[in-house]
Amino acid sequence: MSFKEHDRKTHIIDLARAYSTRRISKREFLKKVGLAGIGFSAFNAGLLGNTRGFYGDTSLIGTEALAQDASVTKWLKDVGSKFKGTTIRYTSEATPPTVVLDKIKKEFIDPTGINVEIEIVPLEQVLAKATLDVQGQLGSYDLYYLDQSWISTFAEDTVEPKEYYKKKPDLAMPNFDWDDFSPGLAKGLAEYKGKWVGIPFDVPIFITMYRQDLWDKHKLSPPKTVDDFTKAAKIIFEAEKANGIYGTGLQAKSGHYSLNCDWTQMIWNEGGSIFGADKKFTGNDEAGVRGLKLYQEWAKVAPPESVNSTWDGQGAMMVAGQVGIVNSWAEYMPGVDSAESKTKGLWTPVTPVTGKALRPVDKAGFGEIPNYGHQGASVLGLSKYSKNLDAAWIFMQWACSKDVVARCTTIGGFAPVRTSSYSDPRILDKAKPGPGTTRHLPVVKATIDNLMASEPDMPLWAGFSNNEIPVNLGKLLTGQDFGGDAKKCMDTVAKVIDKAVADAGL
Amino acid sequence: MMQSRSSIFIRDTFAIAVVLLFMFPLFWWSLTSIKPDYAIFDKDGINWVNFEPTFDNYRVTVFGQSRLSEVEEKGFSVGNAGAGSYDSRQSLFDSIIIALGATLISVGVAVFASYALSRIPFRGRVSYLNWVLGQRFMPPVAIVVPLVLIYRDFGMRDVNNIFLGYLGLILIYALMNLPIVLLLMKSFFDDIPKDVDEAAMIDGATQWQAFWRIVLPMVKGGVAACAVLCFVFAWTEFLISLMLTTDIRTVPVKISTFVTSTGNEWGFISALGMAGVIPGFIFIILVQRHLVRGLTLGSLKE
Amino acid sequence: MSVTDKKISRFLSTSWMTSEHPLPWLLPASALMIVFGIYPLLYAIWLSLHRVPAGRRQMVFDPLFNWTKIFVDPNMIAALVNTFVYTFVALTLQMILGLSIALLLDTDRRGYSILRAIMTLPLVMPPAVTAMIFLLMLNGSFGVLAHGLFALGVLDPAQPPILANGSAPFSLTLLGETVKILPLAMMGVILADVWQWTPFMVLIMLAGLRSLPKEPFEAAAIDGANSWQMFVRLTLPMMSKVIAIALLIRGIDIFRMVDYIHVMTARGPGTATLTLPTYATQEAFTKGVFNYSSTIALVTLILIILTSTLFMKIFRVRL
Repeated sequence: MSFKEHDRKTHIIDLARAYSTRRISKREFLKKVGLAGIGFSAFNAGLLGNTRGFYGDTSLIGTEALAQDASVTKWLKDVGSKFKGTTIRYTSEATPPTVVLDKIKKEFIDPTGINVEIEIVPLEQVLAKATLDVQGQLGSYDLYYLDQSWISTFAEDTVEPKEYYKKKPDLAMPNFDWDDFSPGLAKGLAEYKGKWVGIPFDVPIFITMYRQDLWDKHKLSPPKTVDDFTKAAKIIFEAEKANGIYGTGLQAKSGHYSLNCDWTQMIWNEGGSIFGADKKFTGNDEAGVRGLKLYQEWAKVAPPESVNSTWDGQGAMMVAGQVGIVNSWAEYMPGVDSAESKTKGLWTPVTPVTGKALRPVDKAGFGEIPNYGHQGASVLGLSKYSKNLDAAWIFMQWACSKDVVARCTTIGGFAPVRTSSYSDPRILDKAKPGPGTTRHLPVVKATIDNLMASEPDMPLWAGFSNNEIPVNLGKLLTGQDFGGDAKKCMDTVAKVIDKAVADAGL
Repeated sequence: MMQSRSSIFIRDTFAIAVVLLFMFPLFWWSLTSIKPDYAIFDKDGINWVNFEPTFDNYRVTVFGQSRLSEVEEKGFSVGNAGAGSYDSRQSLFDSIIIALGATLISVGVAVFASYALSRIPFRGRVSYLNWVLGQRFMPPVAIVVPLVLIYRDFGMRDVNNIFLGYLGLILIYALMNLPIVLLLMKSFFDDIPKDVDEAAMIDGATQWQAFWRIVLPMVKGGVAACAVLCFVFAWTEFLISLMLTTDIRTVPVKISTFVTSTGNEWGFISALGMAGVIPGFIFIILVQRHLVRGLTLGSLKE
Repeated sequence: MSVTDKKISRFLSTSWMTSEHPLPWLLPASALMIVFGIYPLLYAIWLSLHRVPAGRRQMVFDPLFNWTKIFVDPNMIAALVNTFVYTFVALTLQMILGLSIALLLDTDRRGYSILRAIMTLPLVMPPAVTAMIFLLMLNGSFGVLAHGLFALGVLDPAQPPILANGSAPFSLTLLGETVKILPLAMMGVILADVWQWTPFMVLIMLAGLRSLPKEPFEAAAIDGANSWQMFVRLTLPMMSKVIAIALLIRGIDIFRMVDYIHVMTARGPGTATLTLPTYATQEAFTKGVFNYSSTIALVTLILIILTSTLFMKIFRVRL
């Protein structure tokens, strides 16, 4: 799963995905090294799509199409060279884009002289170290990678980017184009209490993906609703059990954020929500319980390993050809199309299946937005405690710039955060099955624009979504407690959450 | 006691079977290290020999072959994460430095203390020994957070000063090894009769001289055993290294960075894991004789 | 004595700085233990006496908050029970297996020294890596051990995979909280622990066996005792000191072990493999609640001190 998802699990800031500076050197160097053009997008792509590896197309690296624009290099040099010798740090999850990262580092370091150190660790560790960093105000990291579920928790730890852009015109990147970020992301993701916590960095979002070959074989029509999904999953399971193929795959690991993601989508699809307008937990109301019961149904036609899998395991199921239809992260697409995948080219992406009528936003609490496309976007935030604020700021702008985002998407095939990227010719070019495919992007864009949901925005959410909720759900799904009774499980969660919310005076 | 040939045979078979059974996970692990990814995650079954072995995993982690260059050469996306992060030579180097440093300090400090505890009777000797043993009781998680905060205050974090970063980790490992080394060395010193010291001191030597010139050389073997145990412990420790350092990544931490949720890059994990076993194993074999004494903190001699 | 030695001894001749006095010998070790052992411990205690109010960052002195919280926290019950169960079961298994294998390998016949050497291999593996090995082998879809268990009919592939399986043979209800005893996930963790540390026991038992005098056995053989009787009446009692030491040391280590659970089950499913030290880790590193985490860790320390002291008194273990 994406880097971001991992982040979620941990709840604390995922530090900087900011990848190291891009180093742009001469054309020959680029060609020789073959790094040119790899950007943070690629990193993102790898992160988003599948932490199993970078399913992007590294053969594009070094080609003319992906060379960095000379004007950007110049800007880097002009602005960055006065910070020569500083080192900026951030930590990120172990994702494929590190391939790119390595070279990007040199590219950035060359014109600016700013060294970039990336600490690559599993998500759990990122969370752990970030927690430590913030609580202890260690200042080890200059940039934070913040998952949307942590925005409110860490809103106070970052520098507002838009204001900083205005405040330091001499460091401002030309043509940054703040309005280019998908409006939904800008409002729902980056903004908290009227200010931007960071710059939108990635946008993993739920879509529905199904195996065209299995659909053709069993003469099924493209799934549009949750009922279609459930029926199809059951049919595939019955028919293909013998071949080791299950209906669907889940990311239902107990105590992991991924289970929370699946669960929120299930209750939203049933017209429910996590919190009600009265700020009480509503996962145990009729709609919520229905959603959870349906999830239990889906678990019956999914590989048993689902309850031990997070997004990574779910992706592995898809790549290994173990499942027929999945309602999950669009970022799996580049992975399932990679050369090593057993199901290359076989998956068809469509907008996520729709369910019952959505609960209106004003009936949900804490800014929650129920919808059919669960989103796990993140921002890149500039740490207030950084000792190299300006150097990190330069890197951050470069990492989130138009060109970089577009180029990365081209290589990595994941959904860009900028609207302009979707129409970039280089990206449209790659809309065919193969590593780093972008063929799912129109579906993703449609989802982002129309069906994007948003989790609640409150300081305790990171804690709940990584502990209380998935631990109790896990107990239910693995038969450890509640005896299979969804309502009992949700009532237990409601008690704990309502008490915590009341104690915190929210 | 006379044993029949058949019972001997049964015993031998049984012994070999048990040892082989114990070795199975290591065997499987090394098999995994030469498997390409598709053979590790195959939904149709477990692959024992049904794959093309590859040494790429070792090449990338231990020999520093760039993942990207490999991808380019082969012309396709291997579906795995990037180059630089898998090159583990720096980690092997870091681990060696830390382990050696911790060993030197731990053994260096402990031989003096254990000699005194063995030779010089003083009030509170038993309490001191109990205090030392008590260090062993400490769960690492209790001191991790305080350590990080303390190190931050003293500027000893590796992000501030890499040298102090190494030193910080070395010192904490030295402390964690101290109980073993101290108690073990004490038992070795106890083996040498005090008469030896006294003879030397009658001839005019001070206690120090008796120690340095006479007794210490006699326990060289014991010192070696302590050194090995320290080394292995420092090499395999995980939690403290994980939380205390950012730039310095010891081998176990490095290996854990290859894992995400349900496992990523098992090929690299297993390759680096196997490579990491070798130094420790060699050392253990060398001091096998004294191993037991070490493991029981000196209570038990072989 | 050389001239330099005379100079040195004169220099060291102040009353407490002579090499005859223990202080200078103990100073470096004591310094190390005070700075890196006591100071962090005091800090941890200090942390446990404070708390961070919701939504704020500064710590507030509130000595009873954490220390009363542990008594009302339902997770503590699960953690306590699981820790003791894990320690007890793993320790027993390691002891029995260790002693058995030691008896098996305790012979001077050819080739056995190689077998004994090979048996020490698991000890040099970092526990974190061992945990990964078992994680892979127990994977419900792709793991070799899991497949083996399915083939033997011991486990049902349709059930949640071992490390995510909370079904247990017994359960215990304490103070309103039901804790499962030995869920499958816990058994998976214990498997890894036992595999790694049985060789430790084997080594120690071997050493013990080798130091046993031969005469009693010869006398018993003459009297017509069989192997089993000799084992129970001679070997075991004579080995009691060895067994006690081994149990003490290993017990302490298992009690505070986090590596296996951390990597294999992440304390799950639910709270099936939540132990005291892993609970402390969780609170610190996934929630950032360092104060409460310190409290839990201190409770672990106290429990270790109490049980070891008790054990040492009962079994008369001396240093």
